[in-house]
Amino acid sequence: MTTGAILQAINGTSLAALLFLLASGFTLSFGLMRVVNMAHGAYYLLGGYIGLSIAERTGSFTLAILGGGAGIVVLGFLVDRFLIRHTGENHLAQVLLTVGVAFVIGDVALHIWGGDTLMVPTPAVLRGAVELPGGIVYPRYRFVLILFGVVVGAALWLLYRKTALGAVVRAGVDDREQVSATGINVDRLFVLVSALASFLAGTAGVVGGAFLALYPGAEWEILVVALVVVIIGGLGSLEGAMLGAVIVGLLDAYGRWLLPEFSYFVLFGPMAVLLLLRPRGIFGREG
Amino acid sequence: MNGPRLLVLGAGLGLAVLLPHVAGPFWMTLVTQMYIFGLLALSVDLLLGHAGLFSLCHASFFAVSAYTVAILQVRHDVPTALAVPAAILAGTVLALLFGLAVRTRGVYFILITIAFGFVVWGLAHRWSSFTGGDNGITSVPFPALGPFRIQSTFEYYHLVLAVVVLCAIGYRTLIASPFGLTLRGIKASESRMRSLGYHTDLHLYTAFVVSGALASLAGVLYVYHNRFVNPVAAAFQISVEAALMAIVGGSGTILGPFLGSVVILGLRNWVSSFFELWAAVMGAVFIAAVLWAPEGLVGLARRARAVARRAPEPETTVP
Amino acid sequence: MSAAPAAIEVAELTREFGGLRAVDQVSLRVASGERRVLIGPNGAGKTTLFHCITGTLRPSAGRVVFFGREVTRLAEHRRTVLGMGRTFQITNVFADLSLLENLVLAVMGTDRRKWVMHRSVSGFAGACDRARQGLDRVGLIHRAEDPVKLLSYGERRQLELALALGSNPRVLFLDEPCSGLSPSERQRVSRTIGHLPRQITVFMIEHDMDVALGLADRVTVLHRGRVILEGTPGEVQTNPEVRDVYFGHV
Repeated sequence: MTTGAILQAINGTSLAALLFLLASGFTLSFGLMRVVNMAHGAYYLLGGYIGLSIAERTGSFTLAILGGGAGIVVLGFLVDRFLIRHTGENHLAQVLLTVGVAFVIGDVALHIWGGDTLMVPTPAVLRGAVELPGGIVYPRYRFVLILFGVVVGAALWLLYRKTALGAVVRAGVDDREQVSATGINVDRLFVLVSALASFLAGTAGVVGGAFLALYPGAEWEILVVALVVVIIGGLGSLEGAMLGAVIVGLLDAYGRWLLPEFSYFVLFGPMAVLLLLRPRGIFGREG
Repeated sequence: MNGPRLLVLGAGLGLAVLLPHVAGPFWMTLVTQMYIFGLLALSVDLLLGHAGLFSLCHASFFAVSAYTVAILQVRHDVPTALAVPAAILAGTVLALLFGLAVRTRGVYFILITIAFGFVVWGLAHRWSSFTGGDNGITSVPFPALGPFRIQSTFEYYHLVLAVVVLCAIGYRTLIASPFGLTLRGIKASESRMRSLGYHTDLHLYTAFVVSGALASLAGVLYVYHNRFVNPVAAAFQISVEAALMAIVGGSGTILGPFLGSVVILGLRNWVSSFFELWAAVMGAVFIAAVLWAPEGLVGLARRARAVARRAPEPETTVP
Repeated sequence: MSAAPAAIEVAELTREFGGLRAVDQVSLRVASGERRVLIGPNGAGKTTLFHCITGTLRPSAGRVVFFGREVTRLAEHRRTVLGMGRTFQITNVFADLSLLENLVLAVMGTDRRKWVMHRSVSGFAGACDRARQGLDRVGLIHRAEDPVKLLSYGERRQLELALALGSNPRVLFLDEPCSGLSPSERQRVSRTIGHLPRQITVFMIEHDMDVALGLADRVTVLHRGRVILEGTPGEVQTNPEVRDVYFGHV
């Protein structure tokens, strides 16, 4: 029984790493630019598909990750500049608009890559299993994913909390008018943060596509779990995204293990509790 | 309601009644669908157009109600007279639960309703032993109330039309009532409402539950129309489309959601017959609606009339 | 000897934001029927104090008592039902609705029938009449059916006042009712307030000295969240500390 519990803990943590990649971009986009981008799930899927094609053609996983990320950066920029820009701070309009974008991306992707479930090929060095004390055998890839998540998380956190750029972003999250009043080019800052969010989403797609698989509909399944992360952690908070990802990742893993038929239901519990006690999320602020 | 408007409505109703007599079964089925989804869109618009809450989980009430009818009638031989109230009750109880979301506003509310919606979809999808999984539940009979049995899609069309018209009349009274006005007050300025003595959370919660009950009724009509139900009924796409119908048709009106339903379902039907990527087209319609026609068809019509009369133009924002 | 309970009694009220004390141990007592004016430089905490008394904000410490009843933790809308009415510093009316609808909402706020779902508002003759009277009181009856969007700034301030009076308050909180108004509009507002019956206690924040001192029975001076003086208009006008606070460098 304990072996199973430990296995699920690792499962949950590896999922948490993936969720963090997706949720961090989403939450920072909102915190700084007040933008709700529901196409993030579609960015994940498309990034994954692009990475898949690159991996199949070049055999390089690294290129796949970079290519998937870069592709979404370009797409994200176009969507921001030509579509989202016109919605101002109208969240309802943003949701509808970006859902529409997601529908378009999803359908085009279906047309190009088909409806079969596909996996991004992992490089040989990441394949295989690791043996843990207690005789547990666990896929090496997932361990590396956790490592990757921790590294990215640490890098983001350092950037956010310990650099001048991060200070500007944090100030912007707190009070956007003040930041632009100090003469900093807010537009460029927005483009930068948005590009980072897009890159993370695209990269997450490649990385996730190697163990969770890519298929039509995956973009919504991963998005909604990322949304729960952001709800629990609080919109606009990087630390919230971290904590939320761990909570949701573990809940999801244990939920699937103990109650496979009710796995989404398990996520409902903490959300309901949160709504009763702290509607703004653990670290959130007024939206 | 003034003379000319009454006349136009009467004519519209007349056409609706005549339709199955002149058009083929294909059109009749499609138009029945338009009524049903128009009703769902209306339920979403009670919150969106009047209270200012954008709920994206209404497919949940719709589906739970449909599944309840299906499970009761197909597996347990429960008669329509009991199955229908049970279904509406089930959907309403779910709304009582999901109404917790009303403790939040704005973006949080939207995101939470999205997540709630997925919980129900996930259950429909994975709890195969109960819901039939992806296959759903089939062979749902036509509704029968004592001596009255629906025996054809022709008869069902008229039943749906009657129900929808009654709902529209009830809805009209609701939005013109003091309660309806309080919702619009909350949408205009919640802080002002609180300082005037209104328990705004409670008003919004009540509206949410009423809206959920209406969506449940649409779900009942849906399952008897399709004669089956599967997880698609609970899908996020359904909730989003319902909201889009309300907006495209004209949020805050009674006719708007139905007009929107006609446009969206008609468009989808037409496009999917020759273009594979019709979901992409639907996405493009979302984008176009948000950017160019946020006040919907009814709003556009009003603007056209205002321009013709040279009156001041109403403002254009997505509600 | 038993005294009639004070309309408003505030004891050691404090409200903090982060480390900042916007309201710092304020105590005051407004008698029933009194006209009290609260003055002080910008940022003195006047509006925050109002928010704490009317329930828009919860105080960090201290008590609020309304006609002898403890309301410190009571929800805002319940305080309105008890008899508090207020206007906001930044005009807060229902912009998307008509003037009449605005007043109907104000009038029905404390009425159980606001929950009715099966009859149209137009069927409630009593409420509609009171709404029209409310508009008439501030001289806006001729625009009853107009949407608020067509109103000028001054007219919106009038509407704001009408809304506050609509719930038949026992204590009326006015937050800078004259701000942004032309001299003739100020006179009008001043007159409307002056003509209010003594059953209504008036507690007002105002920057315009003439209006303030002309209407006040007593004046409370707030500076950096603390009460530095309370007295008659004459006393306050001649007090050197008050002059320093307004014109000097404290």
